[in-house]
Amino acid sequence: MSRRVVITGLGPVSSVGIGAEDFGAALREGRSGISPISSFDASGFPHRMAGEVPDFDPGTMVRSLSPDEWGRTSLFAAAAGRLAVEDSGLDPAVLARSRAGSSIGTTSGESQVVEQLTAQWVDGGLSSLRPDLVRQAPASRLAVAVNRELGLTGEAMTLSTACSASNYALGYAYDQIAMGDADYMIAGGADSVCRWAHAGFYRLGALTEHACSPFDANRSGILTGEGGAALFLETLESAESRGAHVYAEVLGYGLNCDANHMVAPDADSIAECMRRAHRNAGIDASQVDYICAHGTGTPANDAVESRAVLDVFGDTPPPISSIKSMLGHTMGAASGFGAIASALGIDQGFMPPTTNHTTPDPDLVGIDPVPNKARIARLDVVQNNGFAFGGNNAITILGRVA
Amino acid sequence: MSTAPDTLAITGWGVLTSTGFGADEFAAAVREGRSGLVDVEGAFDEQLPTSKACALVGFHARDHLGRKGTSFLDRSTSLALIGCELALNDTGLVVDDANRDRVGIVLGTTAGSLKATSDYSRETLVQDKPYLVNPMLFPNTVMNCAAGQSAIWHKLKGVNATVAGGQLAGLNALRYTRNLVRRGYVDGALVGAVEEFSPHTAWSAHHLHRQLGVQVPVGEGSAVFVAENPDVARAAGRTPDAEVLAVEIGYYAPTGQLPDAGEGLATTIARALERAGVAADEVWAVATGETGAQPLDEVEARGVAAVFGGAARRVRVKELTGECQAASGALQLAALLSHHRDDRALDGRVGVVTSVSADGAVGAAVVRGYSRA
Repeated sequence: MSRRVVITGLGPVSSVGIGAEDFGAALREGRSGISPISSFDASGFPHRMAGEVPDFDPGTMVRSLSPDEWGRTSLFAAAAGRLAVEDSGLDPAVLARSRAGSSIGTTSGESQVVEQLTAQWVDGGLSSLRPDLVRQAPASRLAVAVNRELGLTGEAMTLSTACSASNYALGYAYDQIAMGDADYMIAGGADSVCRWAHAGFYRLGALTEHACSPFDANRSGILTGEGGAALFLETLESAESRGAHVYAEVLGYGLNCDANHMVAPDADSIAECMRRAHRNAGIDASQVDYICAHGTGTPANDAVESRAVLDVFGDTPPPISSIKSMLGHTMGAASGFGAIASALGIDQGFMPPTTNHTTPDPDLVGIDPVPNKARIARLDVVQNNGFAFGGNNAITILGRVA
Repeated sequence: MSTAPDTLAITGWGVLTSTGFGADEFAAAVREGRSGLVDVEGAFDEQLPTSKACALVGFHARDHLGRKGTSFLDRSTSLALIGCELALNDTGLVVDDANRDRVGIVLGTTAGSLKATSDYSRETLVQDKPYLVNPMLFPNTVMNCAAGQSAIWHKLKGVNATVAGGQLAGLNALRYTRNLVRRGYVDGALVGAVEEFSPHTAWSAHHLHRQLGVQVPVGEGSAVFVAENPDVARAAGRTPDAEVLAVEIGYYAPTGQLPDAGEGLATTIARALERAGVAADEVWAVATGETGAQPLDEVEARGVAAVFGGAARRVRVKELTGECQAASGALQLAALLSHHRDDRALDGRVGVVTSVSADGAVGAAVVRGYSRA
């Protein structure tokens, strides 16, 4: 038995927009979510920009959780989950009575909580840690926050597979519904901008100063970002019977591991992951109309990702754009935002642009990054890439319901 | 789609704790009821809240793995690497070029290496410039470091996943693996969970335990199982140490709130038994997660009693290993298999592993065990 699984609700809480409508408009406009860092004192850093969500006011977005009992990342997840359910039009009371749960991806979990605990350690020693903050630190709280906010009694699974984690989460949620273990799932990811990641990426030489320009000849790295991305999943039969708006179908996904290097991506392994995703989704590479790139904007990632795409798709691959040019790198939420962008692209007929593009890279012949302006196009099948530290590759395939 | 079974065959396992190193030694410690509690005074640079813990004092990855490639590993990653090595040494499964794409790793955690992450964060506060951090240590701050490094070390290119579940992490990892196998994404995986002991985790636990009146010592360790598609294992002639028949997870409410997690646990255990096709009175033992926090343990006790009454024997691994947080569920399973390991009288008997978190998550695994004798 395998049931068809569709996406009927979107919950983006991002630096470019909150909610499906605003987020979709931002992608079509090529809006930038990059601003000077305000969540920590960045004055000592040479680079001081990030994709924060300064407008995030959890108190106005969550109804069940008390914001002061939860870390910022859990609140991103819960707010995104709440938005996705509202967008789906399903009665939350019906949802809470159903076989429903969540799977949420993350890179650094409650990073800002850990940073606060670290500051207490520096100031007063480990004996001075505040117990209420210690309680907020476990990363498992992200999925728990979604279940608690929505009153769900199904499983709450937090997948901490770094920057491809949302695709892991979406794939797992899809399997749970397809195999009949759950009837509704909220899938996505969340992360918060933090000082240690900003420092780490800077020291790796992977952090750019002002603007992230993936696939550009002069690209010079990422900007860190944050937010919560959630997608509401149910069976096609359920969506049709309640007359829900269907954005897209989850056709399948592929996962593999480079088992080679903790931070350097591996083109052959990524190409194999794409083939696995296609096989699992029951499609041929030639059916893919658009690729939502991992596209971090580092010289290495974009070169390796392009090489894998050319290997799998041949000399004329489908257009491939990076929404990280607008959002920054939202870490564990990144492929969740990619999945939302892909679903909106299928539903509304457009490809999001790669912004900040000035100089095509002569080494990326054949790569069409949809430079600077969104492109109107009918998309039937979209591939959403996610790669991560640890060589954790995860690719989801979404399609128009046919 | 795939027609793979909905169960897992465990064909080997490894444990690294102060209670025992490797399946045989750990199994002996469990049967004899030998505790791993040791003196930890002066064992770490930072002051510790207590003088005793179930910690691996003097543990260095290089003593087990050699010097090459081990100097930058954090403690959680080291524990995971050795746990994987011990598990692979205990199974007939040989990973080579023919199958390394089909064998993955699934590890449970609380928040990765809290020490590695907090130390890194600390550098941004105490250095002359906040960016004077060591780029070589940056990967240690991501929660999938242990699984990623284990994949590199053992060259396993199948699905590599990390689940952050705290007390539920061991069961989360088993359930995630069961899905990978039934969907045909892998033929097998090293599945387990890890928790490190450090001044950071010791003090964190101390602050929480003091509030709750908990007296259980803090521990550390890793437990890793070789979980295979039963058809693949059988076809290769490998006999299992255990069959994981079902793993069910639910979410209710924190202790004292509604919906009650005790009733939720009873529902979850019942669902797991039904899926496994096992009656409650066939279950010989329940390996509970009892944390020493009375309200939470009462939740678990109510859930277990609702299904089994007082009939099934209790296996309480934390009496030997201490409170190992994310590693708890995996160590509970290891303790259950310890009783099977050389006791033929228990062959084919079914045990249950239960976990409950303070946040309201509950889980149960149903496991049929066999001896090696």
